[in-house]
Amino acid sequence: MIKFENVSVLYPGAAEPALKDLSIHFNQGEFVCVLGKSGAGKSTFIRCINGLQPVSEGTVKWNDKSLAEMTPKENLEVRRKTGMIFQHFNLIPRMSVVQNILTGLFGYKKSYENLLGLFDSNERMSALEAIDQVELTVEPTRRVENLSGGQKQRVAIARALIQNPKVFLGDEPVASLDPGTAERIFHLLKETHIKRNLVSIINVHDVGLAKKFATRIIALKKGKLIFDGSPENFDEKVYAETYNQ
Amino acid sequence: MVWFKKRQFFVFLIIAVLAVYSMRLTEFDLSKFRDFENMGDFLSKWFPMNTDSLPYLFTESVLTISIAFLGSLFGLIIALPLSFQAARNTSGHRLIFAATRFYLSFLRSVPEFVFGLILLTTLGLGPFPAVIAIVLHNIGVLGKLISELIEAADKGPMEAMSAVGAKRWIGNLFAILPQIWPNVLSQFFYRFEVAIRTSLILGLIGGGGIGQQLFIHFKTFQYQLVSVDVLLIMIMVILVDYIGGKIREKVI
Repeated sequence: MIKFENVSVLYPGAAEPALKDLSIHFNQGEFVCVLGKSGAGKSTFIRCINGLQPVSEGTVKWNDKSLAEMTPKENLEVRRKTGMIFQHFNLIPRMSVVQNILTGLFGYKKSYENLLGLFDSNERMSALEAIDQVELTVEPTRRVENLSGGQKQRVAIARALIQNPKVFLGDEPVASLDPGTAERIFHLLKETHIKRNLVSIINVHDVGLAKKFATRIIALKKGKLIFDGSPENFDEKVYAETYNQ
Repeated sequence: MVWFKKRQFFVFLIIAVLAVYSMRLTEFDLSKFRDFENMGDFLSKWFPMNTDSLPYLFTESVLTISIAFLGSLFGLIIALPLSFQAARNTSGHRLIFAATRFYLSFLRSVPEFVFGLILLTTLGLGPFPAVIAIVLHNIGVLGKLISELIEAADKGPMEAMSAVGAKRWIGNLFAILPQIWPNVLSQFFYRFEVAIRTSLILGLIGGGGIGQQLFIHFKTFQYQLVSVDVLLIMIMVILVDYIGGKIREKVI
């Protein structure tokens, strides 16, 4: 479904590319965890999938069509079919839980409808259902800055769910959460993943979480793919290779 | 001298030289305060206040507030979209960014008084040219200040809006405006307060309001009315500052 063909990314002014000649593909139903040290290229990799980060060389393909060759409309389609969650949640401050979740529909609606907040009753109902799905027990009208880290990430997941995504991307979604909350969030991601038969690709620092939840692990080092396999095969030797100098 | 570097001494020296030079140019001389009692004599003529014209002066004060309010409100409404084009991170194109920045700088560089004088030739005397003069200058000032707030806003929500497939301008608007809104309100109320003082100056060129009354009372030596004018001006400024603070508190 998603294919990287010889992808490299070189940031302006950087001596070394953030991603080097990466070729990999992902299929429907896979729950992939991406491991690697800070600066290994994990975030760049995740951002290349939905085109937030343009590639310098190579191609990223969705269903055999290159992102670079897509029309703006097709690119928009890719983005709205991709739910993305971030380390710092990236919620809109001073807006409520339900308002933040409804912004997940921005890609589907006309500009004036977004501007005026014209959401029909079905859409509002979907936002409330998304709140239920992520087991968020706060008032939908509560401002997001008053929530805990775990609650904020649940709002971010609900925002992604309302997009009705085919692909779920996570850029260190549990890095700023305590271990217990991190595990609960991973549980939620896995459950959603199974229910909706998604492709989920998630950056994570915690190898334990990756081994517990992933169906496939990939490891990056200095922008290069050094491991691609099942969690069982991610052994101490691979761990050492991934995290040591 | 752990805290200071040699270069900082050089900077202090330049500042000191500039200060001394400016004092010479401005005939800055504190010994001139020896004739302080003249001021006392002058101020004593301001009292007792002549409150007979208070209702009329109150109406003129309301006119001044209206000039300042409209000047700041329309300034904000026009500056807000321009500021998104004047910010590096949200501008559609480098040329649009440069042109908008230049336009805002131009508006800022022309004082309201000069705009007022120019507008008099078309719009005649009265509060309307005063409102337009304040609007024009406020577009320049608020546009620059808001564009700097936009540039300093957290990029995270913008990235999230791109990721959901929102159109760029909608994403920017929703990701940034809620972040900067309390500061935008602060700037608005500060400019409102400044606009009250500006509209007093515009009263000198026939802009109307309490400023024009102050000018007339001064010119005709009616100092007991001058004191009423000054009191009303002080009340207006303090009131705007207080209300602005309360509204900002609510918004945050």
